[in-house]
Amino acid sequence: MDRFAVTLRLASPLVTGGGYMTLDALLAAVLFDSGETVEAAHAKVPLKNTQGLWHGSAAVYETLEVGRQAFVANLRATHDLTPDLIAKNKHGALHAKISLGRRRDFGPVMNGYQYLVAESLTWYGEGDSAAVERLLRTVRFIGKRRASGFGEVSGVEMSPSDVDGVVGMLGDPLRPVPLELFTGDKSAIRGDAAWKPAYWRPENRAICYLPSQN
Amino acid sequence: MNTYEFFMEHFGRHLIDAEGLTAAQGTEKALSSNYTTLKGTPSRLQSGWAVVRPGVSSLQLKITAKGIAYDNRTAMEAFIDELTTWDGDSPRIFLQFEKAPVPISNLFITVDRRLIRICSPKGVASFDMNVDPDSSATIVQRAIWKRLPK
Repeated sequence: MDRFAVTLRLASPLVTGGGYMTLDALLAAVLFDSGETVEAAHAKVPLKNTQGLWHGSAAVYETLEVGRQAFVANLRATHDLTPDLIAKNKHGALHAKISLGRRRDFGPVMNGYQYLVAESLTWYGEGDSAAVERLLRTVRFIGKRRASGFGEVSGVEMSPSDVDGVVGMLGDPLRPVPLELFTGDKSAIRGDAAWKPAYWRPENRAICYLPSQN
Repeated sequence: MNTYEFFMEHFGRHLIDAEGLTAAQGTEKALSSNYTTLKGTPSRLQSGWAVVRPGVSSLQLKITAKGIAYDNRTAMEAFIDELTTWDGDSPRIFLQFEKAPVPISNLFITVDRRLIRICSPKGVASFDMNVDPDSSATIVQRAIWKRLPK
């Protein structure tokens, strides 16, 4: 186990959609994309783990510019699948995003995103740095709207570090850390956050010490 | 402390029968179910506000559920009063209801004056209670800041 900093250089703006983008979440996502199950992907994250807390920081970056980008997609107004295969709402009807009364076969749906411009994303961690580097070298895009060209990665840099990915040099939290697991400066901001993968699971949320916003 | 366990212990359990449900499932059910109002009509939590706190929580909509304090004030009056009398440490959930149910992913426990959130179906408005709102501040934050005693 060694302590390291890893930086992904960005070639295009990034859409984060909020959240902390922790290193363990990124590594688990890479493993999941390589064909692992959700459970196996989380079990194989090559970082130190203390009582469920991964030693991988939230993404650290300097925002140079913020903007908004809208995408319009023409979606089919009706489902192609057999209705039996689609989840129903509580009234027993199919969920329909587009009003069939106003549309014909297709309907435009607009989604807006906030993007940010940053030169790079950096994480701090403790674990098998060689395995982390191997996994991150396969990342070509990061964040949301990757298929639209956002979050293009142009390079990976690894370097040794003094911090463990959980607590910074000044005792500040580098990632969401539950109150009972935090050993740093207790004057840090506290709030409600998911602190371990899978980050979308409601039971993985708790009151945590939180890293400062980028 | 988990968000949904806190919500259910201090608010949700007074609204629904949560037997056999996880805290998250109970929270979802509590936020989207119909309740009988004092007038006898069914209503979801689709207008008004609630403040979930340890002990007795407050709700504006008057329904027949016991164990909750019913409060006529506007959301702004209630939130400002809560924020000014709050010890800045014990947990609170500030809820502002609208026609659509509040998604459980939007729930947030506030435990720090520097990170206050008002949860609504549209999203979560976060702000630092000690800092002047800037041009990107939400309407709720501006309204609260304007009325907070300086």
